[in-house]
Amino acid sequence: MFKAILFTQWRWGRVLVATCVVAGFAIPVFSVRNAGGGSWNGPMWNALDLLASMQSYGPIYVLLAGFAGIALSTSAWAPDHAGRHVYALSLPLARWHYVLLRYGSGVVLLVPVSLALWIGALVASVSTPLPTGLHAYPGALALRFALASVLSFSVIFAVASGTKRSAGYALAVLLGLVLADLLISLFGGTPVVIESTLGWLFSSSGVFGIFTGRWMLIDV
Amino acid sequence: MTHAIQTRDLTYRASKTFEIRDLALNVPHGSLYGFLGPNGSGKTTTIRLILGLLRPVAGSISVLSHSIPRESPRMLGRTGYVPERPHLYPMLTVEEAMRYHAAFYPSWDWKWADELAATFLLPRQNKIGGLSKGETGKLMMLLALAQRPELLVLDEPTDGLDPVVRRDVLMALLDYVSQTSATVFISSHLVHELERICDWVGVMDRGWLIAELPMQSFKNGIKRLRVSNAPAMLGDAPFVVLSREPGEGAHELWLVRGWQPPMTQFFDGIGANLREVVDLDLEEGFVELLRTFRQPQS
Repeated sequence: MFKAILFTQWRWGRVLVATCVVAGFAIPVFSVRNAGGGSWNGPMWNALDLLASMQSYGPIYVLLAGFAGIALSTSAWAPDHAGRHVYALSLPLARWHYVLLRYGSGVVLLVPVSLALWIGALVASVSTPLPTGLHAYPGALALRFALASVLSFSVIFAVASGTKRSAGYALAVLLGLVLADLLISLFGGTPVVIESTLGWLFSSSGVFGIFTGRWMLIDV
Repeated sequence: MTHAIQTRDLTYRASKTFEIRDLALNVPHGSLYGFLGPNGSGKTTTIRLILGLLRPVAGSISVLSHSIPRESPRMLGRTGYVPERPHLYPMLTVEEAMRYHAAFYPSWDWKWADELAATFLLPRQNKIGGLSKGETGKLMMLLALAQRPELLVLDEPTDGLDPVVRRDVLMALLDYVSQTSATVFISSHLVHELERICDWVGVMDRGWLIAELPMQSFKNGIKRLRVSNAPAMLGDAPFVVLSREPGEGAHELWLVRGWQPPMTQFFDGIGANLREVVDLDLEEGFVELLRTFRQPQS
C-alpha cells in the first residue's frame, strides 16, 4: 500500500522533486564557486570574505527547504481534494492510516532533495582548499535542511489535511493577529503582536527556530 | 432472511433543508437491489452513510455484518464501490490506476481485470484525465469488479453513458453476479434499467424511504382501478389506496398498492363496481408512488 501511495505522490510531485534535487545540489556548489567574487583561489581567500559569502547563501537554503516542504505537502493532497476525498475514504483502511501513508510518502520524497544537497555540499567542500581556521559542515547543513523541509512539509500537510473549517480556524487566527495590530495602531500604540508572535515562533526555542540562525556550509 | 445491508432509525442532517430520517433499509443477501429516487432524494447521501463516508446523527448501520462507521475499513475491503462522479486520480494512466487500486485489495483478480480491460477496450496507457465519460465509467466498474467483492454499491453507474457502454457495464455486472452470490445495491433514476435487472426495489424521496419490496410485488402490486359508485368511506380495504381521483362520468380512478385478483370481491361488499384494472409498468408505478407521497390523498 505504501509503495502504491508513494508512486501516486511521485507521479504528481516528480517535477517538483526533480527541481528541488537540482537546486539542492547546485546551491552549495555555486556558493563555493562564487565565493570571494568567483576568483576561486582557495587558500588565498580572505576568511572573512569567505564567511560573508557563505552567509549570503543562508536564506537560499532556508527558502529551498520551505519551498520543498510546502510544495510537496500541497501536492500530496491536491488530487484528493479535487475528488472530494471520495476515493481515499472508500479505500479499505482507516483514515489515520491513509493520512500516515500519505505523510510518509511525502517525507520519503523529501529525502532525495536533502541527499542532493548533502552530495552537493560534499562535492563543494572536498573540492575547495579552505583557509586555516575554517571548516566545512556538509553533514550538518544537510541535516538541518532535512529537518527544516520536513517541518515545513508537516505544518502545511497538517493544515491541508484538515477540513475547510480547520483551515478557516487557522486563517481566523492569522486575521486575529492582524486585527490586534490594527487596533493597537488605531489607539496610538506600536503594533507588536505579529512581530512578537513571529519572533516567538522563529526564536531559537520556537517551533520554526530551525529556519533561523546560521546556515553555513563553511564556518569557523 | 439475512441482510447484506441493514439500517435502523438512520438519521443524517445534510443541511438545514434536507435530512435523511429514520431510514430502515433491508437489503437481502444475494439480491440485486434497485435504489430508486428522483434527483436530490437522498440516494447518494444514503450510500455514503452505508459506506461510512459520512457519520450519521442517529441510528445504526450494519453492512456485511460489520457495524458502520466503526468497522468500515473491514467492510470496504469486501465491497466494490462505483461513485456517482468519477473519483480516480486523473494524472494516472489506466494501467497505473489498476495497480494502485489492486494494492489495497488482497482479493484483486488480475486475470479478470485484464479480461475486463480487453472487453471494455480500455486504453491502458492513456491517462484517466483524457478518457471519455464512457471509458471512465467502464474503468470504475472494472476496478469495483476485479476486487471480487461480496457487495457492490453502485451509485448511478450508467448515468450519462451511451447505450452501448451501458450495456457493456451491465453485462459485466450481471456476469459477475451470475458467477458469485454477491449482493448488488444499485442506485439510479433510470427506472427501466433497474426493472430489467433488479429483484428488490427501494424508493427514496425527500430523505424518506417510501417503499421497499420485491420487484415483482412492486410491478404487480401497483394498479390503477376504474371504480364506480364507490362510497366516501371504504372501511378495511385489503389493499392500500394511494390516491382517489375523479375520472370520466361517475367513475373514479384509484391508485392502489398490494393488489391481487381475488380482491375484486371487496367491491361487491361495499356496493361499488370495479370496471377496469390497469397494469402499471415500473416507471408509471414509480411516478405515481412519488406523486401520492408528495400529495397525500385528501
